Amino acid sequence: MIRALVLVLSAYLAVIAQDFLPAMPFFAGAHVLLLPVVVCYALLWMPFPAALAFALYAGLLADLSSLHVDGDHVEIGLGWSMLYYVLVAAVLNLPRWPVSGLRWETHCLVSGAATFFLLAGQYLMVCLRRHFVFDLAVIAQIFGPVLAALLLAPVLYFFFGLFPGGAPRFRGRRVAR
Amino acid sequence: MKPLHLVLLAVAIIVALVFLTFAPSRMRAWQSRFFDASSPAIQAGAAINDRISKMNKGFKTLDELEAENAALLAQNNELRASGQLLKDLADENRRLRDTLGYRERSVFNLVPAKVISRDSASWWSSVKINRGFAENVDAAQPVLTADGLVGRTTTVAKDLAMVMLLTDENCQVAARIEETGDQGIMTGLRTAGEAAPQLVLNFLKRNADIKPGMKVVTAGVSGGVFPAGIPLGTVKEFRTRELDGQAVIEPAADISRLEDVFVVRGTK
Repeated sequence: MIRALVLVLSAYLAVIAQDFLPAMPFFAGAHVLLLPVVVCYALLWMPFPAALAFALYAGLLADLSSLHVDGDHVEIGLGWSMLYYVLVAAVLNLPRWPVSGLRWETHCLVSGAATFFLLAGQYLMVCLRRHFVFDLAVIAQIFGPVLAALLLAPVLYFFFGLFPGGAPRFRGRRVAR
Repeated sequence: MKPLHLVLLAVAIIVALVFLTFAPSRMRAWQSRFFDASSPAIQAGAAINDRISKMNKGFKTLDELEAENAALLAQNNELRASGQLLKDLADENRRLRDTLGYRERSVFNLVPAKVISRDSASWWSSVKINRGFAENVDAAQPVLTADGLVGRTTTVAKDLAMVMLLTDENCQVAARIEETGDQGIMTGLRTAGEAAPQLVLNFLKRNADIKPGMKVVTAGVSGGVFPAGIPLGTVKEFRTRELDGQAVIEPAADISRLEDVFVVRGTK
């Protein structure tokens, strides 16, 4: 329960804090995204119904924080991140998924993948609405945050592990440590 | 997956889809409420960030001082710390005097604001400032520095506003080359990134006599957001395309390092 509350608070703080982190000059000024790393931990750790609720909450926070509304034009509307994190929750809870369960390696890989698909999806949506642009900066702006997520995930994994939260899940079931 | 889980998944997807059907005005209202609720956390984050960046600046300057003043290394730490503190205060004083001076001589009615955070989104560029409708800041108002235009406000909360920067692809400004009078539409580049902000001026005449170094200012279209004559930048390069000419513009304001800005509420 304490870990669940810590995760809820961390998601909120991650949304606020990631706007204050400096841009990465080697990755075309891309920013470190903390929220997908926190969300992936929660989705892997929580039982499915709670994971869905968390996905909706985190998606709403992400959208409200960075919604780009200009007059009657909305770049990526309120709800897309919610839908995305709900789908991530569903994928992570598929039966016989080879990497299900909460291990630091799983969390690390899933965080990287979730950040990649989030940014690549946003990029494709912007391209479909406007026009297609592709250069090295696009690759840098996607893979910079992915690399940051891969590096940050183990740190956050061990941080969240400090809080009491019951037995971890493994292949969709709760098992003893 | 259990049947109950499938039902819950369907419900979650429907909830997300309901949010997607919101009208832009409703989305902006939700975002404004979120900013109001998060304002204390954002302001606290800005204060911490400010303190950290001041500390970093102090360390850098100390390094420079050590290199420049090798002969003074024998001086004690207290004296160096005092000197550093005075230098920081003098820098801050000079910066504030500059901004105050600009506010007084400007023909616009300006609201001074501080940039408190920069949006972490990759594909568009915006910042948050610490002024909102409590100071009569409204949506679609120009934001500038003493050097030139920076962008315009979008979502406005009580004491917080989001500013879409010039470098954003969605921020389009009617611009004019000061020397030649050629007009076009200036916009940011999606993939330019925060590290190397770039602007392009499109729809220029193919045979326009535009040279690097020429100044670009707002054209001030009637009914538009931006008043005429605000500096935008200087021409870096001019190239001809199939149907028009395009100029690459270097922004007048240092968009990658914004600190103090002004929101234009109209003319005096």
